[in-house]
Amino acid sequence: MVTIDLAEIPVREANIHIRAHGEESEDVELINPDARHHLGVGLTDNITVKIRGSAGYFCAGLSDQAHFEVDHNVGWGLADNMYSGSVVVGGNAGAIPGVAIRGAEVVVRGNMGSRAGQVMKAGTLCCASNANFMAGYMMYGGRIIILGDSGESVGEDMTGGTIFVAGTIQSLGSDAEIVDVEEEEHESILTFLDRYKISFKGRFKKVVNAGKKLRYSTQERPIRSIPFFTFSGKSDYWNPKVQEDIYVKSQTGRYRVRGYGGARELPHLADLAFKVDLSTAGDEKDPVSKINMRTEIGGLHGANPLKISMPVLIAPMSYGALSRSTKLAIGIASGLSDIAENTGEGGMSDAQRGAAKQLIFQMLGGRLGWNIHDMKRADGLEIYISQGAKPGFGGQLMARKVTEELAAIRGIPPHIDLRSPSRHPDILGADDLVIKIEELREATGYRLPVSVKLGAGRVSDDIKIAVKDGLDFVELDGMQGSTGAGSAEVMEYVGIPTLAAIMEAEDALAEIGRRKDIEIVLMGGLRDGIDAVKALCLGADAAAFGTSVIIAGGCIACMQCHVGQCVTGIATQDPAHEARYQPEVEAQNIHRFLESVRWQIAAITLALGHQDTRELSRDDLVAITPEAAAITRLPYAPEQRQSEQHLQLNII
Amino acid sequence: MCGIAGIVYKSGPGATGEALISMLDGCQHRGPDSTGFALYGETHPDQYCLRFFVDEGAEGEQAIARIREILSQHGAEIIEDETIANNYRLTVTFHGELQSLAYALEHAAKVISIGTTLEIIKDVGSAHEVDQRFGVAKHRGTHGIGHVRLATESEVKPEAAHPFWATGFADVAIVHNGQITNYWKMRRRLEQRDFEFRANNDSELIAVYLADKLAQGVSLREALRTSIDDLDGTFSFLVTTHDEIGYAKDRLAVKPMIMYEDDELIAIASEEVSLNRLYPGVALNTREPAPGTYNTWSRLT
Repeated sequence: MVTIDLAEIPVREANIHIRAHGEESEDVELINPDARHHLGVGLTDNITVKIRGSAGYFCAGLSDQAHFEVDHNVGWGLADNMYSGSVVVGGNAGAIPGVAIRGAEVVVRGNMGSRAGQVMKAGTLCCASNANFMAGYMMYGGRIIILGDSGESVGEDMTGGTIFVAGTIQSLGSDAEIVDVEEEEHESILTFLDRYKISFKGRFKKVVNAGKKLRYSTQERPIRSIPFFTFSGKSDYWNPKVQEDIYVKSQTGRYRVRGYGGARELPHLADLAFKVDLSTAGDEKDPVSKINMRTEIGGLHGANPLKISMPVLIAPMSYGALSRSTKLAIGIASGLSDIAENTGEGGMSDAQRGAAKQLIFQMLGGRLGWNIHDMKRADGLEIYISQGAKPGFGGQLMARKVTEELAAIRGIPPHIDLRSPSRHPDILGADDLVIKIEELREATGYRLPVSVKLGAGRVSDDIKIAVKDGLDFVELDGMQGSTGAGSAEVMEYVGIPTLAAIMEAEDALAEIGRRKDIEIVLMGGLRDGIDAVKALCLGADAAAFGTSVIIAGGCIACMQCHVGQCVTGIATQDPAHEARYQPEVEAQNIHRFLESVRWQIAAITLALGHQDTRELSRDDLVAITPEAAAITRLPYAPEQRQSEQHLQLNII
Repeated sequence: MCGIAGIVYKSGPGATGEALISMLDGCQHRGPDSTGFALYGETHPDQYCLRFFVDEGAEGEQAIARIREILSQHGAEIIEDETIANNYRLTVTFHGELQSLAYALEHAAKVISIGTTLEIIKDVGSAHEVDQRFGVAKHRGTHGIGHVRLATESEVKPEAAHPFWATGFADVAIVHNGQITNYWKMRRRLEQRDFEFRANNDSELIAVYLADKLAQGVSLREALRTSIDDLDGTFSFLVTTHDEIGYAKDRLAVKPMIMYEDDELIAIASEEVSLNRLYPGVALNTREPAPGTYNTWSRLT
């Protein structure tokens, strides 16, 4: 056993040593831990780590196979996302012990803090004394064993798994109920306790999900919907859209859930024009060779940046909302165009990883599909806070799309209407966020950029937090962005437009003089290279495309993504439907679309008199509607409307 | 969005300055923008220590002149005064009604604190930077609280740093971690009763809220109890008076707080790592106050 003295070296260095000893199967002892954070984070070897004292936040977090023994207390987030292996804590644990574990055994001999086992998927969390309130909050699977009292609201909004309580159940959470304990389960618990030398005599009460909230009582049925372009067009008061919304509600008796984005007319990038006449912009035959477009994103604080061939990324979209084949096609196309793809919620597949040259791995509040091994093979890590189409809400994946296979990857029960948590268990403010970011960096050796996905709401406050917490870049998403499923009213009325989002972000960063300390990727209803150039002019470091990529790959904009019966095989998990999708063909279609974006960016940049996309600025733009002028403070130049139309017609 | 710390020595004055610097340095990651201390020292009857933020140059001189004039109008006699960095500090004797003096001063200058034993020292920068500027480490006393701040919704400026003084109430200070979501509603209620606010900072609201309760003759303990019902949002806050320290924690326990007690002292902090700074190499028997709870300790208990 090797001894590491934390009074002598910082945690970051200690963790490098621990991982190196792990590779050589050598056990480690940590002395003078003094409640420091992130001890043992990212360890994936089967060794024993003895911590002689108390540990801080995220002890043993994002680890697999290792065995930790902590003599005394631990802080928040014990064993965060731990796959296999074990942690035994001699003293008390702070809030959210066993958060998001996926198979590990976690034993706390003292008391444990609130929200124990939040969003856990598998494994055992055992507390030999009392739990605090909301133990098992939003858990998806596995078991919690509490030998003392349960605390209030035990099993609050649990989806799956079981909670065994030997002491008093102070109160049950919403949608939880007490059922009989099977003899087999009792024996299994005793075996577990015996293994960890915990003596116990008595019986348990068993708390499980009562099943009242897992599914909507009425499912959305596929309808022959009016197409999105009609749906969102100008029309009279009781127009087809309004009628359709009412019709759907008359069937389900609740708010309408649908795919795609808001349909209101809002100020957008098309309300801006370029200041100079670009009628000759298409004349240059090979503009791409004349413009420097290579872009690096995420390297400001020492991580290996994403190196992309143009300032364009694929917007985050999940395997779940989209079929595996669609994610594969997008991955291939992103590789062909040498830009970065993003996993969205719901995990990373081997095929996707193989196809995408550069892949951002996204972490959501439910930690669905999140794990240390895929983190290590990602090119960037992203903390999802919200998305433009529905800021403040978690993802929605209706039961028909939650197949056995998909559920297994996410670690959740199949066939439920999955409403992903809208909050992270361990990010409840900027102060927690900074510790979380550090955990992600520790786990991956400070190698990867860490970004945040931000749906435009209070952008001004949020982006200040992002820069102060040291994030490498922000993916900023305006309300013109789409979603695989969201409630219609939220999509129409909650977010703020993409134009307003980038303005707020730029203003806030200028106010605190920190613009150079963070990069911004702007998304939310961008349709072509013209939009991308305008985004860059407004200050974005890159632009991201989601819906337009899906359309390039065959989407017909029927808005039925949530139903799971997508006729094109895109937004479905049904093998029969997915079989219609030809990933290789669609990958080429998406690739060609991305190349058209590249050509447009180059042609316009060149016509504006620049050699590099980084030279684009607000000086290149004017506003052609009063609303857009008010939002962007660009000069109002209605006379430019004509030239914008020419541009849209000329540049293909 | 912050880190908080508090300490009480049970038997006579201890090195509060050093202890708080060390604890705040331990959780500076929670708030790099500004750092502040509320320190309690010796008391002299009818003698107050006043601290103000003053600008440099002519504006600062004018502010100082205004402060001196108001003090003289209210019959306060200046014993000594000095300028330390961006602070103007005075010791005065005063026998009148503090609240009206405090409000008069508030209108004339940026008051940091007024107390018979309290001094608030706060500024932008880290615990060590603020110490270098103002000499916090040398401070000895019975108790104190401190704060590191990451500014989110209000600006980074010295007067938006914590601790906040409960204006008009000698020796009452608070530090807070969290976000009060019914801020505007509560603020408007208090403003209707002539309470005044200096920053758009939700933590200032807690100070004013407690001041209001104390003005009505409510005990600190009772004020903490009602605060859990009256304030919405997430909060873990510490409050100190001339001889007490107390905490309140919201029902969702969203903001951390952990405490340690032995024969010598009680220490409370956002994270155990701060408590361990007081006892390097020792595994401490700490406990986490339960959600929705409050408590107070007198420095003499």
